[in-house]
Amino acid sequence: MSDSILSLRSYNPVVKVLAPVPAMIVAGLSRDLWTPAVFAVIGLVMLLIAGRPRARTLAWLLAGPPLLVALLTVSFGVWTDPALVDDTTAVLELGPFTLWSGALVTGLATGLRVAAVMLLALIAGLTTDGTDLVRSMIAHLRMPYRIGYAGFAAMRFVPRFRRDLEIIRLAHRVRGVDGGRGPVATLRRYSGYAVPLLAGAMRHGDRVSLAMEARGFGAHPTRTERRHVPLRARDAVLALWLVAVCFVPHLTGVL
Amino acid sequence: MKTLTTRYLMACAAIGAATGVLLIPAFFVSFTISAAAPLAYAAMAGVWFLGPVVALAVLRRPGAAVLTMLLAGIINIASPAGPSAIVTNLMVGAALEVGFLVTRYRIWRPWLFYVMGVLFQAYYAISAYAYFNIDDMTVAAQAGFFVLLLGSTLAFIKIGLVIAGRLAAAGVARGIAPVSAAR
Repeated sequence: MSDSILSLRSYNPVVKVLAPVPAMIVAGLSRDLWTPAVFAVIGLVMLLIAGRPRARTLAWLLAGPPLLVALLTVSFGVWTDPALVDDTTAVLELGPFTLWSGALVTGLATGLRVAAVMLLALIAGLTTDGTDLVRSMIAHLRMPYRIGYAGFAAMRFVPRFRRDLEIIRLAHRVRGVDGGRGPVATLRRYSGYAVPLLAGAMRHGDRVSLAMEARGFGAHPTRTERRHVPLRARDAVLALWLVAVCFVPHLTGVL
Repeated sequence: MKTLTTRYLMACAAIGAATGVLLIPAFFVSFTISAAAPLAYAAMAGVWFLGPVVALAVLRRPGAAVLTMLLAGIINIASPAGPSAIVTNLMVGAALEVGFLVTRYRIWRPWLFYVMGVLFQAYYAISAYAYFNIDDMTVAAQAGFFVLLLGSTLAFIKIGLVIAGRLAAAGVARGIAPVSAAR
């Protein structure tokens, strides 16, 4: 794990999760073009400079938001009520259907809004390790450590699920449980996996809980951690910056 | 704290992990189609109810839905779905839980699940008006949005209750639920 102040990975996970929330609300509730565009650019720049994404993630980050915005702009041309925008110029006429520029502007605003919220969410999503988040929630949000350890257990259940799913799938095939081909049959087959998968997971949970209690889990009100997730001055700076960003919409008159 | 036995916590972790895995693709799909095809989004919005319904119906303990969705959110946050995942999940879990809280965890009938699901989706549709630009849509699209939202909610709650019934019949949660779910 990099400890450089320029890397978002070195910041406190809880701060990264909670600090963008006000900005996400402001961006999500805005109706103009300027606000979500600024939030999207800020989120993207923060991720590009401090997120240090890998090549593949970087490609998605650069290509994804413009694609999303373009897709929503066009599709909203179709969804928007023509009566609301027919005083704007007609861009395209296709039989009974007219594409109004006003509808495109509405779509652009929606696309920018979704992209802004998504990019702000990715600040934490791309740079946070799940176990560090749980450790930080126990230490800094005062979450009971028993619940935190249930979170660790849930994370460890995921790879186990993958193996269980494979075993159940093979068992069904050996016994010839086959609904045929096509999407409906596939859906029915997968729904047949749900109950054995969950039942197996819950039985595994029972065994894990016995093993944990046999080792004295939960005997004391507090628990010391081997790995410590720090909460430092840089986290306060990040939080202040992300809250300050919320005042961007009020700058329209100045700029 | 006394009621949070390790066994109950691990059962929530198991259901939460399954819910989290199920919701990772759901979050990706919902981000791309939420505004591009609002009707398709409405048709899948009910999937968020699957986890908390199974948890509450099988475990029948206070806090099962909130705890399961919190753990599912922790799974989701490690994926690029980000912090919005944990907020969304907790909101759904808490919304379902409220109905059982106000009836003091004495009623476990299916109708309570359906009523809470419909109430939450009605609230969600109103709060999502600005985000999805619903009021700019044609009237037919608006009507379709609400019908699909309602239909998917009821369908996924039904699926959750069926799964919960089969799990209870398999006897996995025996001893966790104070009132046996296999009735």
